[in-house]
Amino acid sequence: MLTTPRSYPKSWVEWTAIVIAAIIVLTAVFGGLLAPHDPLVIDFRAKLLPPSGTHWMGTDGAGRDVLSRLLTGAQLTLLSTLSVIAVVLVIGCTIGIFSAFVGGWVDNLLMRLADIWLGFPPLILALGFAAAMGASLQAAIWALVFSWWPTYARLSRMITKDILSAKYIAAADTLGVPAWRKVVLYVLPNAFDVLIIQVTLDIAAVMLAISGLSFIGVGAQIPTPEWGAMIADGRDYVRNGWWIVIFPGLAIFFTALSFNIIGDMLRRELDPTSQRRA
Amino acid sequence: MTYILQRIAFSLLSLFVLVLISFLLSHIVPGDPAYVAAGPNAGAEKIAEIRAEMGLDKPVATQFFIYLGDVLRGDFGTSWFTHQPILQDIAQELPPSLELVLVAMVINLVVSLPVGLLTARFNGSRFDDLVRLVSIAGAGLPIFWTAILLQQKVAADWKLFPVAGRLSFEHRRFEGQTGFTLLDSLMQGRLDVFFDALAHLMLPAFALALLFTAVGVRITRTSMISEFKKDYVTLARAKGASEGRVMFRHVFPNGATPALTVFGMQFGWMLGTTVLVEEIFGRPGIGRYAVKAVTQSDIHGVVAVVFVVGLFFLVANLVVDLLLYAINPRKHLEG
Repeated sequence: MLTTPRSYPKSWVEWTAIVIAAIIVLTAVFGGLLAPHDPLVIDFRAKLLPPSGTHWMGTDGAGRDVLSRLLTGAQLTLLSTLSVIAVVLVIGCTIGIFSAFVGGWVDNLLMRLADIWLGFPPLILALGFAAAMGASLQAAIWALVFSWWPTYARLSRMITKDILSAKYIAAADTLGVPAWRKVVLYVLPNAFDVLIIQVTLDIAAVMLAISGLSFIGVGAQIPTPEWGAMIADGRDYVRNGWWIVIFPGLAIFFTALSFNIIGDMLRRELDPTSQRRA
Repeated sequence: MTYILQRIAFSLLSLFVLVLISFLLSHIVPGDPAYVAAGPNAGAEKIAEIRAEMGLDKPVATQFFIYLGDVLRGDFGTSWFTHQPILQDIAQELPPSLELVLVAMVINLVVSLPVGLLTARFNGSRFDDLVRLVSIAGAGLPIFWTAILLQQKVAADWKLFPVAGRLSFEHRRFEGQTGFTLLDSLMQGRLDVFFDALAHLMLPAFALALLFTAVGVRITRTSMISEFKKDYVTLARAKGASEGRVMFRHVFPNGATPALTVFGMQFGWMLGTTVLVEEIFGRPGIGRYAVKAVTQSDIHGVVAVVFVVGLFFLVANLVVDLLLYAINPRKHLEG
């Protein structure tokens, strides 16, 4: 509900998570501009240099600056994660709200389908989809949309059903308020809190899935500075260039961690059914 | 009884959806499969010929039912890189993957259940906070990255476990009847092979289990907390039952059952996640097979793995649900 007190961080862990997340978002916005070197220029004379003053995170097997790749990759990784979530949010909520409004056997069928779909391991489903489309970052994004929509369909359907059973909806019905106005006026504002929690937690999950798909070769392709692809690229050099593998992994880990902590915090503060609050 | 029938009907429906998804992936999404199969230099006639051969000139519904028939007979086509029937490949790759998932599941359960119980008992304590933070951190680790680090540090540098493979070089000729090395070695009384296979399993299983354990601990904790709040716990305490008895005799069995549903689902997810682990540790298995099929653009090989993982997922869930029903039929009447 919009009237509940807004969330606030409770401990230094949560403050740190917020600061890290803010830094990561800023990096994603300005990533390319901050990069000290060109992330794609190959220079074999400078290959496999350990971290130093000129290359803070060293260089990779083709002499590219790891820090520059990491900063540029932040944009790519975060942008693809957010596009998955944005599309899934729209598709899932459309299906869910539609299902709740129509009700009856359509509702039943759609939700059964969502249940079944939700169960399948998302990574393997996405792998199949990406393989069918041909390997690219775009394919990985669509693949995850393909396997992620039921979460939002179920969630938005649950909230909508809940709201539709309220007394003020019966009042609105008597006044002849059309369905689309009910969605805009009552459903969406009330669904906001629950959806924002899910979105925050999914940022980490989707990011891990995208980088995983890139790692096994069905997402971003290797010279692209996507974090998962960077780890895949660094695997061959792990014995004499640990920095190529370590830094992108840490970037993924800290991004996922901070968004998970924020999601956890939001759930505690915003979700009335949460156990922690009592 | 009605519950069991309903549950089985749901599984059959799920199976149908699974076939539908496989069909979408292998026939609809790739655009024109005949064009792909014919190769880049084929002329229009050749493509039309292949299209007819593959049945792609028939209506989509007909194609689907042909596909459904093929799948039910276990015919997934022939692999482009092993040149064997895909079903045969899968049958060969499945045991090592299942072995890996089972060991990972044991690690998961051995950690999740007791830690979940204890954090629920000491809900809100420093210990609880610490475990929560660790499990959130665990859920943020990219599995493939952890796997590489473990392999480099624990195996290559510290030499605590073998770096890669399924068995050591001296046991390379070991053959068993079932394909499950752990089981075969025990049946033949070869303890040396058994421990060798187990040592090779430890790191990949641990890397695979991390993420799932992080979730498992939290699920167990939530379900145990709601048990601790129930009246029978208060009654047991009022009767003077020791805290240990309350925890292990009363709360644990009741709180563990809802968590089991999640562990059942995790089984299928783990099997799907082997794609991130097996290749790194050079283990045979359906995960590595899927990755190889992807790089060889063998879409039917990939789809077969998707199908098999989905199938195991369905079966694992069905088994867990029926098991829970057998343990406590009353629960399903209430809810």
